[in-house]
Amino acid sequence: MPLIETKYFGTMSYEDESVFDFPYGLPAFEEEKRFVFIEIAEYAPLVFLQSLTRPSLCFLALPVLSVDPDYRLELSSEDRAALELEGQSERGGGILALALLSLHDGFPATANLMAPIVVDTRMRRALQAIRMDRRYSHQHPLRQPGIAPVCEGVC
Amino acid sequence: MLVLRRRAGESLLIGDDIEIELLELTPQGAKIGIRAPRETVVLRKELKIIQEQNTHAARGLESGDVGQALKQFSRNTSRISHRTDKHSES
Repeated sequence: MPLIETKYFGTMSYEDESVFDFPYGLPAFEEEKRFVFIEIAEYAPLVFLQSLTRPSLCFLALPVLSVDPDYRLELSSEDRAALELEGQSERGGGILALALLSLHDGFPATANLMAPIVVDTRMRRALQAIRMDRRYSHQHPLRQPGIAPVCEGVC
Repeated sequence: MLVLRRRAGESLLIGDDIEIELLELTPQGAKIGIRAPRETVVLRKELKIIQEQNTHAARGLESGDVGQALKQFSRNTSRISHRTDKHSES
């Protein structure tokens, strides 16, 4: 199995099946076209997006449904075309959406729901799709552990 | 903010070097043409927001203690929903 140098996980072996192509890179990281998706049981459902070319570049991400179970993906026609989804069935079509997380010292982490990473798990291809609507924030706060949800109606 | 109305085919001039032309109005939005020096960066606003957010996100693990940063996601204490079904597009 091939090896990759990473800053946070040391030298890791990975399977080709865990590598995803980002033909357009990511905004501000347009040159980064290949990432390996790492999942560590203790931190599930967190996904680490480790760059194959830059050991120090590693994003944290969560499935959008882990952040907001009611989230619905809305892709522009350009993004759908870029992922070549036209011919594919959209229901259960192996599309996974991840939100990149930002850590804020002393504050809860936030998730970018405005521009999820949309992954075609069959073709192992992904891009960051910016929503056309204003429904979701690029800094959606994650609920903090230990804080009780607000009571609605009678508790 | 300066607010002006333009019809399709009409233009705005910004400074000495920039021209914005409203090319076409369609239900999918306004088609806008920009003439500017090569070195002038023209970006969709939301793209700039996402560039900055990605740059911030990339720094997440950098600042010191990775273990500490990840504590908030540890299985034992997390209240994050564990739904991870493959998502179907609306």
